[in-house]
Amino acid sequence: MRKTFAIEMSDNQSNKEAKRSNSLWRLMKECVLEMLHRPIYWVGFFALPLFLFLFLASLMESGLPEKIPAAIVDKDGTATSREITQSLNGMQMVNLTMTCNSYTEARHAMQEGKIYGFFVIPENFESELLSMRKPVITFYTNMTYYVPAALLFKTFKTTALYAKAGIAVNVLEYAGAGSMNVAPLLNPINVATRPIGNPGLNYAIYLCNSFIPCALQLMILLVTAFTLGEEVKRGRSRRLLERTDGSILTALFAKLFPQTIIWIIVVVFMESWLYKWNGYPMNGSWGWLTLSEIMFVFASQAFGVFLYGCLPSLRLSLSACALLGILSFSLAAFSFPEQSMYPALSIFSWVVPIRYNFLIYSDQALNGLHIYYSRIWFAAYCVFMLLPFTMLWRIKRSYSNGIYVP
Amino acid sequence: MYKERNKKISWLRQVCETYVRELRNIFKDEGIMIFFFLLPLAYPIVYSLIYNPEVVRDVPMVVIDNDRTALSREFVRRLDATQDIRIKGYAAELGEARRAMAGRDCFGIMEIPDGFQKRAGRLEQNNVILYTDMTLMLRYKAFLMGATDVSQEMGAEIQAKALDSDLPVDVNLDGDPLPIHNVALGNTTSGFDSFVMPGILMLILQQCIILAVGMAGGAMREPRRLLRYNPINEAPSVVLTLISKTLVYCTIMAVPILYLSHYVPLMFAFPMAGDSIEILLLLVPMVLASIFLGFCIQSVVTERETIFVFWVITSVIFLFLSGLTWPRYAMPDVWRWLGDIFPGTWGVEGFIRMNTNGASLSQVSACYYALWILTGVYFTLACVLHRFVIRPRIRREHGECAI
Repeated sequence: MRKTFAIEMSDNQSNKEAKRSNSLWRLMKECVLEMLHRPIYWVGFFALPLFLFLFLASLMESGLPEKIPAAIVDKDGTATSREITQSLNGMQMVNLTMTCNSYTEARHAMQEGKIYGFFVIPENFESELLSMRKPVITFYTNMTYYVPAALLFKTFKTTALYAKAGIAVNVLEYAGAGSMNVAPLLNPINVATRPIGNPGLNYAIYLCNSFIPCALQLMILLVTAFTLGEEVKRGRSRRLLERTDGSILTALFAKLFPQTIIWIIVVVFMESWLYKWNGYPMNGSWGWLTLSEIMFVFASQAFGVFLYGCLPSLRLSLSACALLGILSFSLAAFSFPEQSMYPALSIFSWVVPIRYNFLIYSDQALNGLHIYYSRIWFAAYCVFMLLPFTMLWRIKRSYSNGIYVP
Repeated sequence: MYKERNKKISWLRQVCETYVRELRNIFKDEGIMIFFFLLPLAYPIVYSLIYNPEVVRDVPMVVIDNDRTALSREFVRRLDATQDIRIKGYAAELGEARRAMAGRDCFGIMEIPDGFQKRAGRLEQNNVILYTDMTLMLRYKAFLMGATDVSQEMGAEIQAKALDSDLPVDVNLDGDPLPIHNVALGNTTSGFDSFVMPGILMLILQQCIILAVGMAGGAMREPRRLLRYNPINEAPSVVLTLISKTLVYCTIMAVPILYLSHYVPLMFAFPMAGDSIEILLLLVPMVLASIFLGFCIQSVVTERETIFVFWVITSVIFLFLSGLTWPRYAMPDVWRWLGDIFPGTWGVEGFIRMNTNGASLSQVSACYYALWILTGVYFTLACVLHRFVIRPRIRREHGECAI
């Protein structure tokens, strides 16, 4: 009895209020005020994204990890082997922190995490070398840690090749090739690499430009689904619909447009942080890239609304957004190319907005291509923006039912 | 009232009662169950499948052959024969090749200079130029490996031929005076899946626990009409409550822990060099520390769903803090310290070294001790927070009869 009375009361109240304040402007203002009062929005909009910008860029500030701890196992102990050790130690990438007496000792050090690899010079190395008995130089890298191991591999290999070249020069000179220019003989075909856009192989350029927007996509998806679901959870969804005269589109616009503005400010800040402040390569037009970032915000929000429409429950839609948002880091093929994935999975790389942000970044900022090559990616953003319209009826139904499922 | 009752019964019975109640609450809550079961069971499979092809093969490349001789064609044929590179076709000049690259038909260009064969015959050095797209590092790596291997192999042949004809005495450099061997340890196939997944499995474990515990914390503070996860009960002291809840979470997580640490690597043929029992021993403090960290985080979770908004993204931060991609020794100090205070960092490091590099528990003792220290610290912190922040707040919101 008391309960029904309370409902009637609140219905009357809401009718009155609806008449008083049905202007869209007022509704939006209320939404903004609510966001300002809830710490979770401050964390979602600003604290986490800004922390991530700072964190990722400063983590990899040096571009490549230098002075990778490694060990030398010199079982020979002669002038030649010491020379190799010295030249290895002179390399920028390596820091010979240990001298081990055996393979086992070095392996143990590696298992304990003290070193990322080691270089073994066998016993009787010098004497076997001089008598042309072909001693073998072996180096071991701990491929469990990809980046340091790959860099160590490169340095070890270069050192070994230098050592080999030095020996070859000696042999040739003994054999009477002194009059010839032996240098080109040592490396008749030289591969000169031209890494386009990132000549220093800077790891931060490669990772930040993809991971930071992807983290933003995750935050946009989560905050969008959270905002929509909270209306139902707090029991305000019916009133919201009443205030917009039953138009779900107006309701969504009032709720989400203020957020769009905030996100656009965040992405434009991100863009200037990455390409201006950090000086990551920007070889194309700022205009197209900015347009891409802004469309990316719309597309991600639209995708969030679409996911909420598919699963109109706060928790389920948040779960879906979290799952897709985190999987995007691998599905969007930032590190492992989509051509190498199983076809059944690689098609999913095309169903997340971040994929197109990444492709446009690659075309426009890194490679500085003509906009013609990015035209399809911009069109894809538009498809994402249309997605919510297929789900409006479901969102409206859940809003007018107003049932919260914990 | 409850305090008086609690004085009468033994602490063991109090723990058992809370245990049963908490277990029942969790099984009633679908959201928490998803974090405890569905997430750890399904997520590693999807993730591993994405990277399961392990290596990047046959990356398309376009060739600009300015020489067009037998030797240059041989060079291109050998490039095509490597596992890394696939020759997509020839381009007449750089502009055409760059257009192919812009249209994503290829990701690298090999330019062979005019007079390639002639120079090789005259014993002069040839410079071939390799242009690569730098969007993905793995593609660059594939091009570089393939091109270096082929150039060295062909270089050695040219060398041998030249020496045979030009030198007055018989010198045989052909047989390679100093063979160089390289061995990949741990992840012996240098596969990407085997590199990244063992670490991610540990992060999944940590994140599942924290999300579930955090969500349970949010549920305690929901208004009663939304309540399914019920905090209103006769609860023993804070320490006993936390211990019994920890026992519940450990019971539930037992299967996922075993699955994540043993069966997922088994299914996807990741390196498994470690001793399974010792790995489980390492995971004990890792799981406990994660649960206690979750208890601490409960103090900032105001409702069930906010945990999604502020915790899911931390997975990315933990991935980098763990040193999986960017080694920890090369990080700025502040980030290394930040990594030190999370169980995931030590869990990833310890697990990788044991599982992939075959270290024993004593070899990763630093991680093991650090995890136990974190367990102690977080337990103390959790007790303090629950006693002085969370309980008073729930009492304020739900009345005196709540825990």
